Amino acid sequence: MDWLGYLSEALPGAGQNVLMMAAIVIPVMIVLEVARDLKILDWIAQRMSPLMGFFHLSPQAAFPLLVGIIFGIAYGAGVLIEEARSGRLSWKDIFLINVFLSVCHAVVEDTALFMAVGANGLVILLGRIIAAILITYLISRTAWLQRENLRRGVPGAVNAAGGSGNKCC
Amino acid sequence: MLTVATFKKGFQRGLTTTWNLAKVIVPVYLIVTFLKYTPVMGIVAGFFEPLMHFFGLPGEASLVLVLGKLLNIYAALGAISTLELTGREITIIATMLLLSHSLPVESAVSGRTGVNAMLMTGFRLVISVISGLVLNLVL
Repeated sequence: MDWLGYLSEALPGAGQNVLMMAAIVIPVMIVLEVARDLKILDWIAQRMSPLMGFFHLSPQAAFPLLVGIIFGIAYGAGVLIEEARSGRLSWKDIFLINVFLSVCHAVVEDTALFMAVGANGLVILLGRIIAAILITYLISRTAWLQRENLRRGVPGAVNAAGGSGNKCC
Repeated sequence: MLTVATFKKGFQRGLTTTWNLAKVIVPVYLIVTFLKYTPVMGIVAGFFEPLMHFFGLPGEASLVLVLGKLLNIYAALGAISTLELTGREITIIATMLLLSHSLPVESAVSGRTGVNAMLMTGFRLVISVISGLVLNLVL
């Protein structure tokens, strides 16, 4: 085992990696903070809401969906839980937003990080968005979803935990 | 409203993320580089070579996929930069990972919003495999 070779490769490599990530993550986070304070997402969500019908979603689904896509699942779930508590989203809305976001979330940060190590940004971003749209559309059309939605109550009258009886958070 | 505090908050959030990233990337980088100096990497790579071939990836890439699926994207990033991969290979791995990663943690999160966690995990793994096969044909 060539320890000297190992150390002279591993240590500078690891350090360089962290510096590169910092150079990407810090500007990305600043841009996201600016977008949040300028309420850019509210503006886009308003324009997106008529399109929600494509996924059989209610117009109010646009905002939590957009927050999750841009900022990540943690933020998206926060907004989702709030909206669900206020009764503006049905179980079906919550389920479909979850499906979409599980495939496609935090796109700004993730795409930037993988571009830094050499991936094609356009392919990885579009690949994710297309996969999410396709899957959410297909699931939104299943008979299973209609049945579950009826079983779990009328749209707009579902509790915060998505009707699962889960009383956490 | 846009103020200095906005930029400060963004900068701080960036630092926190970088720190969280470093805590994962540094150990992964050190361990994967270590494996490259031992026969282990060759054995693992040889074992997964036939499977990875379907995605147009070398055998070592299996390590990146496993790290990403089980741990998180940061661990996968640490491993990617240790290996010598082409842009095409990195794009394929990145897509496969972005569609499904940190499965234990993220499934638990979606489970909390009332969605079946096992179903979601299986479903994301399938999409990830399909995307790898498709990109290998298209790119």
